[in-house]
Amino acid sequence: MAVVTAYSTATSIDAAVAEVATQLSSEKPKLVVYFASSVYPPPELASAMDKAFAGAAVLGCTTAGEIASGRMLKNSLVAMALGADIVEDIAVEVIKNVRDGHGTEEAVQALAAHFNQKPLELDPTEYVGLVLFDGLSGAEEMINDKIGDVTNVFFVGGSAGDDLNFSKTHVFVQGQALSNVAVLALIKAAVPFNIIKTQSFIPTGKKFKVTEALESQRTIVKMDGEPAAEVYARAVGRKVEEIGEEFMRYPLGLMAGGEPFIRSPQRVQEDKIVFYCAVKEGMVLELMEAQDMIPDTEAAIKAADQELGGIQALIVFNCILRTLQLENEGKTEFFGKIFAGYPTVGFSTYGESYIGHINQTATMLAFGSRR
Amino acid sequence: MAGKILEMINTIVEKRSGGSPMVARSIRARLVIKGIDVDAYTETSEDDPEVIAKLQQIAKELGV
Repeated sequence: MAVVTAYSTATSIDAAVAEVATQLSSEKPKLVVYFASSVYPPPELASAMDKAFAGAAVLGCTTAGEIASGRMLKNSLVAMALGADIVEDIAVEVIKNVRDGHGTEEAVQALAAHFNQKPLELDPTEYVGLVLFDGLSGAEEMINDKIGDVTNVFFVGGSAGDDLNFSKTHVFVQGQALSNVAVLALIKAAVPFNIIKTQSFIPTGKKFKVTEALESQRTIVKMDGEPAAEVYARAVGRKVEEIGEEFMRYPLGLMAGGEPFIRSPQRVQEDKIVFYCAVKEGMVLELMEAQDMIPDTEAAIKAADQELGGIQALIVFNCILRTLQLENEGKTEFFGKIFAGYPTVGFSTYGESYIGHINQTATMLAFGSRR
Repeated sequence: MAGKILEMINTIVEKRSGGSPMVARSIRARLVIKGIDVDAYTETSEDDPEVIAKLQQIAKELGV
């Protein structure tokens, strides 16, 4: 089956699900991925979507904005149906009580067992993982780290949103809307795939060593032995009380092989800086400077498109901070149009996952043509 | 003594990646995220016991 994407801005769950189901009804899907604004009561939506696509693995989450082919949406439901010609087989596991930090290894083992393999035996060119988090759990670093400990398969995904209310986020799985969970899906792909990570920042050359951090609170106390806020203020040429204005433009990057893993400052707390993801003592971070994300994102997708011989399906996890930046710059529509040529579904996240938990990044899973 | 940290990093990456350059790159990135600045160590880097202990723990976590 050709990959189909659908969206609805209908205000009632019945109408929205019916509209999406009609658009996706061509053939029986193996996997239905959907993302929805928290304006739809999550438990009712999860139940309705599961009934509408009985027989498929049906999973998704609440958002801070939705993405469908060519469109950046709000207060909507977006969905994509993938058939057996792309998803040969899929296994899904739920890690409950993620804040406790247990169950990841067991979940990955169960996923691998579905394919009669052990986690380390899974070939990362044949299998790929999706991961969706309760976006307010604060557990993303721990779970991503553990996943990487036990398997070489790449898991890509994001943290659920709730339309910037920061009250409660939900992950949808098996007809339920769950909080304090992570949902892992392991896909055996029938086609080549590629993971795209694009963040549209350049390194400035200004580096700092984290000399004191409160890791569980995602807080840097000191860099280079001095209060973090003072060091950052000096680097961006502003007073400490003004640095919040520069956070979006100048986040910090943890560099690995020349590739930044972005750590975005959230707020100043006395002379400490609280981030959207954890930073460890001893890490060397580099001040990054924002670039125009439209050409960067476009180039990243085009490169994947060429490598894959054409993208058949694209699942996008775009940081809410990028979405807000696009709104501030009046570029939302232009950004949405980047996806016009590709069957796309996605959402604005409270954090992105790829190898670890990252910020101000778009992570994407692209499926290509037949092997 | 010097160079043990680089040796440990290379061993972890080599053993865990099984020769796959794609997996090797991701293991190096994972080490960075776990707090080891892999590019900072050379054959002449001092054998810092704190970093060595951290790498021993990471090797255990990665099953190496």
